[in-house]
Amino acid sequence: MSPRRTTSGGSIDRRRTIRFTFDGEAYTGHAGDTLASALLANGVRLVGRSFKYHRPRGVFSAGIDEPSALVTVLKDGVREPNIPATRIELHDGLRVESQNRFPSLAFDFGAINQLGGRLLGAGFYYKTFMGPVIGPLKGTRFWMFCERFIRRAAGLGRADYAPDPSRYERMNAFCDVLVAGGGVAGLMAAEAAAKAGKRVILAEQEPETGGFAKWSNETIGGKPAAEWAKTASERLAALDNVRLLTRTMVWGYYDGNTLAALERVGDHLARPPKGHARHRHWTIRAGAVVLATGALERPLVFPGNDRPGVMLAGAVRRYAGEYGVLCGDKTVFFANNDSAYQAASTLTKAGGHVAAIVDVRPTISEAATALAAEAGVVPLTGQAVVETKGGKHITGIVVQSFDAATGALSGDARPIECDCLAVSGGWQPVIHLASQAGAKAEWDETLQAFLPPAPNQRWSGAGSFLGQMTTAGALESGRNAGLSASGKKPSRARLPEVEPSPLEIAPAPIFEIKAPISATRGKAFVDLQHDVTADDVRLAHREGFVSVEHLKRYTTLGMATDQGKTSNVPGLAIMAEARGISIPEAGTTRFRPPYSPVAIGALAAERYGNLKPNRLTPMHDWHVEHGARMMEAGLWHRPMIYGAPGETVEQAYIREAAAVRRSVGIVDVSTLGKIAVKGPDAAEFLDRVYTNMFSTLAIGKARYGLMLREDGIAFDDGTTWRLGEDDFLMTTTTANAGPVMQHLEYFLDIVWPDLKVHLTSVTDQWAGAAVAGPEARKVLEKCVIGTAVDNDTLPFMGIVHGRIDGAPVMICRLSFSGELAYEVYSGAGHGLHVWEALMEAGESFGITPYGMEALGTLRIEKGHVTGAEIDGRTTARDLYLDWMLSKKKPFIGSGLMDRPGLIDQNRIRLVGVVSLDGQPLGGGAHIVEQGSLDALGQSIGHITAFCYSPALAKYIGLALVKGGKAQHGRRAFVSDPLRKRFGPVELVSHHFFDPEGRRMHG
Amino acid sequence: MVERATPLGADFRPGSYGDFADGVGVTLSEPSTGTIVEATAWPGHEKALTAALGRGTGLSLALAPGAGAYRDAKAAAFNIGPGRFLVSGKDEGLVDDLARAVSLETGTITDLSHGRTALRIEGMATEWVLAKLFALDFSLDAFPVSAGRATAHHDFFVQIQRTGDHRFDLYVFRSFARAFAMALRHAAQDVGYAIK
Repeated sequence: MSPRRTTSGGSIDRRRTIRFTFDGEAYTGHAGDTLASALLANGVRLVGRSFKYHRPRGVFSAGIDEPSALVTVLKDGVREPNIPATRIELHDGLRVESQNRFPSLAFDFGAINQLGGRLLGAGFYYKTFMGPVIGPLKGTRFWMFCERFIRRAAGLGRADYAPDPSRYERMNAFCDVLVAGGGVAGLMAAEAAAKAGKRVILAEQEPETGGFAKWSNETIGGKPAAEWAKTASERLAALDNVRLLTRTMVWGYYDGNTLAALERVGDHLARPPKGHARHRHWTIRAGAVVLATGALERPLVFPGNDRPGVMLAGAVRRYAGEYGVLCGDKTVFFANNDSAYQAASTLTKAGGHVAAIVDVRPTISEAATALAAEAGVVPLTGQAVVETKGGKHITGIVVQSFDAATGALSGDARPIECDCLAVSGGWQPVIHLASQAGAKAEWDETLQAFLPPAPNQRWSGAGSFLGQMTTAGALESGRNAGLSASGKKPSRARLPEVEPSPLEIAPAPIFEIKAPISATRGKAFVDLQHDVTADDVRLAHREGFVSVEHLKRYTTLGMATDQGKTSNVPGLAIMAEARGISIPEAGTTRFRPPYSPVAIGALAAERYGNLKPNRLTPMHDWHVEHGARMMEAGLWHRPMIYGAPGETVEQAYIREAAAVRRSVGIVDVSTLGKIAVKGPDAAEFLDRVYTNMFSTLAIGKARYGLMLREDGIAFDDGTTWRLGEDDFLMTTTTANAGPVMQHLEYFLDIVWPDLKVHLTSVTDQWAGAAVAGPEARKVLEKCVIGTAVDNDTLPFMGIVHGRIDGAPVMICRLSFSGELAYEVYSGAGHGLHVWEALMEAGESFGITPYGMEALGTLRIEKGHVTGAEIDGRTTARDLYLDWMLSKKKPFIGSGLMDRPGLIDQNRIRLVGVVSLDGQPLGGGAHIVEQGSLDALGQSIGHITAFCYSPALAKYIGLALVKGGKAQHGRRAFVSDPLRKRFGPVELVSHHFFDPEGRRMHG
Repeated sequence: MVERATPLGADFRPGSYGDFADGVGVTLSEPSTGTIVEATAWPGHEKALTAALGRGTGLSLALAPGAGAYRDAKAAAFNIGPGRFLVSGKDEGLVDDLARAVSLETGTITDLSHGRTALRIEGMATEWVLAKLFALDFSLDAFPVSAGRATAHHDFFVQIQRTGDHRFDLYVFRSFARAFAMALRHAAQDVGYAIK
């Protein structure tokens, strides 16, 4: 048993010993301990080093507000830095290390920064490195030189680059009433709402509900408060209409009563069960919200207030009451309110020794005096702590007479020995969620704290959140808030009995003891986590920062991971005093989410890795089994090449494309966007959205179509098939399927609601296989039944219906490759069956499956455009598609496509490019008229696509070049400095291969 | 008749998975749906459409948003938008019956039998698992049996019908089906799941 662990009391399980390490040293604790309570029980006082000055720091609080005891948790090969020791539940095998120290926590080189304390004040970086200095040390250059050293010296923990193997998940929840906070008020609110028949979610950030009741030593309803809370919690858990979420922090309050919460599902376990998440992120949509988030204790600001062993009084009370840990052998309390006397009483009852109680107030209540007597001391009223003694741990304090009205110190200083100083500067309700919801905090003179104003969303408050600092107040306001959230009136029924509380929780308006700072006394810290001192705040004021928002940013007060939970109000008070105004006049900043840090993994949840959504064609498995190297095309996975052993990508696509020109090839075109356009006005609709006419298209025929945006820029192209009088199948490019659907739906719903047309995405209904090459028809003749496929029955752009190996198919003769080609569509569920039948039928012709690279090669040879050329900047004329611009009808884009800027002949327009030095071209490379690799010429355009053409036996490409056709036959250069390529090219027609179209019409 | 291939792949095979030490929380399956169609009415013809669908399927459909009907695993339909329904049935011939029942004056029928894949999830932890994926209230009061919703999970567009107190049928685009099934299985790991 540790000397600091009491033999009984608290809620830890002393029968269960848990082993853990801190900085490699083995320690033990008990089930129910936090890392902080276990370290304190083991007598470990020095836990970390501070952000800027590397000052020794220990455990300061007992909860989410911890500013000092930040550690790095090592788990599953991952380092997670900056976790408060007060938030880490002890479990077997826990490995933790301290941070921001070198070479060790006890001996840290960085502590030398303390010597330069005066230099490292607020705005140090701005003032030192950004202005012009002398000679070479000027401006940002000097800053960049110094930055590497500063970054190494400052900061907190170090993250690493190892992937986090933990599992995170997201959850959606709906409820009538969400209760945030499971203390006494929260439990009462939840029960009242549940009894009213509401669906209730109670979220409590701690492992157990009960809040203050767990360690207060009070009684509720004749039972110890902890037992009352446990019973109330069990009652709630047994109800079907209540979801009790412990270890769940509500961290964000958004519009429409949508709240964000983080459940720490597995952090307290050595290893989570299979399939269980580490963190679960909840998005909760609540009809009404009860904010029962409690209050956090504030420290007082005085010299040396950061030394290990200086703690919040409430924390000392909690460690004694809940964990059975005595934070010191000789504890001195220092306060401006009566709550410290409760803490002293609890500590005494747990077996601790109170050396003194120092109180800044000249007089105190009788109840407080009585509690002090129970603790065996006479309070030192009208006194203040002006100094702490010790090195890496407090060994004593110095007190002096203090005038609470003027803040003046007088008389002789008096030393007191102690190894723990428990400080209480009053309590600040946790109003963060209300603030996030839009409520501007209001200053309460009595409590010397910001309170929530009237709600502007459907929430109500309860307990100390409202400034109700007694248990009786928590019970009553909790029940009323639960009833109010349920649409009920407040109840007059009897509440559980509690002992009367005559203590004066409202503090004296004292925030700082302005004792002279000296090297021995140390600094007076306001923000312990960011090493911001009271002098920094005053310096900011002297330098002209009068707005609280500016103060915050200049000094970084409240901007650390604890978001200033212990420092905001003292900082404001010091700022207000410096300006000679009141605290409410100084104002406060608006709290923003998250209330406390949330792991990014929990926000990302399943949106990464193998859970990233993807789309597979019906023939996907066949492609993989037959050696396809797959590539991502948007969400789709498509074959790039079907590489033979030892083949490069270029060798593979050349082989595949040559096979198509020579004999026959087959490519999976299932990914093309497909939209069913149905209704009596379908043809009229298509006339309006396409630049060319579709109402004249015969049933059983397809036509190539071009769409423009309203501004006259080319949008998408594809073929549309007329399957019936009122039934069309539109195809789009793979990438543009979604945008085209949105485009069409917009016009149908908003611009032309009178048209009777229905649109349905049928991309996934059809599997598509394009069979292309001189032998394509013969392949179909071998396997298609129910229809002929000869030139008369199935001419270019004709459509027939038949069957392949029993599966119904629809075949359209069209060509992207420039060869005799057919697109064979079947139901997606039959796609693989039909594909395999086509492969079998084509075997004797050497049918070759080809991928995207060969598909691209064939279309470049043919001069067909794709998204690389229809890039959102080009017009139909730029692409020499002006023959598709109907003069007989208006269409989307027709009104703006003739603007002077769009018809300028000198725009960049489509041309072909031939490499003259036998070297590959590069996508995105510039075309220049002169220059060299080192002297870049003026760009006259760029390459959009390139390949090695097996048909032409040279490297070719498509490009958008100023003047377009006018440049045909001219020499230029490809300039690609990024890939160090510069070489001669010839600009030619983009129709490289079979410009007359004999092969595809043959 | 050529059998339709499932898009779910070889990994979607019967067995128990995840944390099933205390039994499985949900069971996943691919129900047999011979027909899936989208039926859409012209404005003002919604009642005529539901009547026609009723004739074709035997279902009694209301017009309220999200309203649906379900009949003994033989046919199901639910509202997925204004005047728009997703109709499914075990029989492959249902698509032709519906095409005949719904005249062009009433609306249109689009066959999606190959284009959508149905996944069924059932079991006591069904609501828990689905709540991980969708921002919908799956409680029985808010989402009664037979009702349907059109929603999305990440990039998955999903149409959902409740077909029992603890059973939902989820319709996804076929090309997304394997990835969605993986997401569903991932979400069900903590409660343990079986594939049948």
